[in-house]
Amino acid sequence: MNDFSVEANGLTKYFGDYKAVDHVSLSVPAGSIYGVLGPNGAGKTTSLRMTLGIIDPDEGTSRLLGGHKPQSVRGRIGYLPEERGLYPGMKAREAIAFMGALRGLDWSEGRRRAATFMTELGLERVIDAKIRKMSKGMAQMVQLIGSIVHAPDLIVLDEPFSGLDPVNQERLETLVRREQARGATILFSTHVMAHAERLCDRIAIIARSARRFEGTVDEARALLPMQVRYTPRDAGDPAAVAATLPAGAERRGDAWHFAIEDGGVEPLLAQITASGHGVTGLSISRPALHDAFVHIVRQVDAGFDADAAEDAIEEASA
Amino acid sequence: MTPFIRNMFVVARRDFLAIVATPTFLLFLLAPLFMVGMVLAGGMGASQLADSARGKGRIVAVADPAQIEALRAADTRLRAAMPREPALLELRVASPAADPLAIAREKGRDTYAVMSGPLDAPRIVEREEGSGSGRYLALLAGEVRRAEAAGDLPPVTPRFESLASGGTSIAVQQSLGFGAVFVIFLLTLLLAGQTVSSLAEEKGNKVIEILAAAVPLESVFLGKLLGFLGVAVLFIAFWMALAFGGGLIAATQMDPAAIAAAGKAGKAATALAATPATGWPFFLGIGFIYFVMAFLLLGAVFLGVGAQAATVREIQMLSLPITIFQVGMFSLCAAAASAPDSGLARFAQIFPFSSPLAMAARAATDDSKAIHLLALGWQALWVALVVWISVRLFRSGVLGSGKSWRFWRRDRPA
Repeated sequence: MNDFSVEANGLTKYFGDYKAVDHVSLSVPAGSIYGVLGPNGAGKTTSLRMTLGIIDPDEGTSRLLGGHKPQSVRGRIGYLPEERGLYPGMKAREAIAFMGALRGLDWSEGRRRAATFMTELGLERVIDAKIRKMSKGMAQMVQLIGSIVHAPDLIVLDEPFSGLDPVNQERLETLVRREQARGATILFSTHVMAHAERLCDRIAIIARSARRFEGTVDEARALLPMQVRYTPRDAGDPAAVAATLPAGAERRGDAWHFAIEDGGVEPLLAQITASGHGVTGLSISRPALHDAFVHIVRQVDAGFDADAAEDAIEEASA
Repeated sequence: MTPFIRNMFVVARRDFLAIVATPTFLLFLLAPLFMVGMVLAGGMGASQLADSARGKGRIVAVADPAQIEALRAADTRLRAAMPREPALLELRVASPAADPLAIAREKGRDTYAVMSGPLDAPRIVEREEGSGSGRYLALLAGEVRRAEAAGDLPPVTPRFESLASGGTSIAVQQSLGFGAVFVIFLLTLLLAGQTVSSLAEEKGNKVIEILAAAVPLESVFLGKLLGFLGVAVLFIAFWMALAFGGGLIAATQMDPAAIAAAGKAGKAATALAATPATGWPFFLGIGFIYFVMAFLLLGAVFLGVGAQAATVREIQMLSLPITIFQVGMFSLCAAAASAPDSGLARFAQIFPFSSPLAMAARAATDDSKAIHLLALGWQALWVALVVWISVRLFRSGVLGSGKSWRFWRRDRPA
């Protein structure tokens, strides 16, 4: 037994000539909540499918739960696919028990747990309702329960929050934390940063088919300099104020916005105190994960655009 | 129970319940009732037509008054020995007014032949040239002449003895074999074709990804086959029970004497008295097992082919080639059943998709039993092979996984 629930190395997948996933590696520590972030069409779902052995990678390997092949530990994995699907004619309780039974759970135990889970998640009214009678969000919650009903050691959720209302998103976050407390490892993909920021111990950012970042949320945020918002008491002469602030400071209303390096906090404070303009407001903060994400994705896109431009120039000169 | 088998049964159970617990299934179950009703109605109509026509047919002999009695006696004697009873004989006294052509054209009756003139050189007017009725009248004339020449002979009193257990004739066994082929073919035609659309549901509602993630696709395919087989067996059991129950009720309603009489005379009794070479219990048992095998084999092919189809329309288009394929297998096996021990029969028994039908026919004519074990093993191997290939094609084609099997396509640039 080692400390990683998921060890995927160099996963690569071609769809025809298109390289959908390019040497993506994921190492998910056991017992953690791990987010795979990326813009639409970046290759998140394909990466997860390869990780779980639903489709075979063209290159690379995936080992789960301590070096096992994905196919040999199916019973210990729970998976919510991106494309939600349930048999519309089945009742919620049966659908959950069916999904549990596929993973080796006893039918009657599955039915019992289904009722418990649904009651906890505020779905007790529809325990015996058919899936086709439910709203999309409800059906999604049912499917989510179905993918964790057998108490798996590894839970993989593909875009679990999309299509849920804020109340259900909140419930899902609680559920994810509770499963982690039970000892499960959770790997989920999303393009909504707020959830990742709140939940994830570590994240990987996939853009343009390849992994562009791996680390903690704080490490991702540290990629960008700290943002300062400063409002002087004495607004007198803007040019005089600007002279005391780092270059590139931008004035919006009364406040000045600018970025500083990690080591620049104390010198800045000293500078502001010494300038004599006074302070009515001052905030120094890390940018949100959202900004870091956009920053990384833009950089990747810019690189691709530059490549494309170079190609175009080469072609033109040839 | 290994996880593989358990997964298979989970899928089979879901499919079975999803099919059976719908109102449509009732329609499916009772559908043969419409067919039986139609056949009964059609049959009754046809037999009524035949009945109403039968009384009106006749053959006519115009003869001297002295010969009328001799003709009537000869007719009684000959009639009993004819395989198909000739039309009613009408005897008329010869008179100058009796013109055979006019008699043959009389309205209100079907007149097949009219005989007139002296019996040693009769004139026979036939409706159709060379008809049986005409030949019968000629035979009748000869019989009367012979009786006149020989005088009264004492009647022959034959003693009939039947071969009680002399074995069943080869022809009857062959027709039993053909019957087995036909029944298995009909059942698979009615029931196995459904499997072609069975994966369409999962592809439509995206459940396939849950299944593919949770269990090996082989157990999904086999489980689906098993679920459909369960439906088929339920269908057969329902109709068997209905037929058996109906037979019992009919038997209690009928007079035992009538049954005995019917049993003595009926053709059904001879068929029942016939035994297949392997004996009835073995024949019925192995017949059922071969039905299961035929169902699994054809079902696996259809499932695999249907899994490749992207739309409902494609599945509908596939139903024709599938039916033709089944009819082809039936024709092959029907030909094989009528010529056991021929090269064609050997081929039909070995070719995997006709093997269950052909081997069921063989059970009727050949009394060796061990060969069936071999055949079942061979067929099971093919079921596994077909499922294995179907899953590979499905994974690479539909799930977009693994190396492309479309080898004729240009390989991607490195």
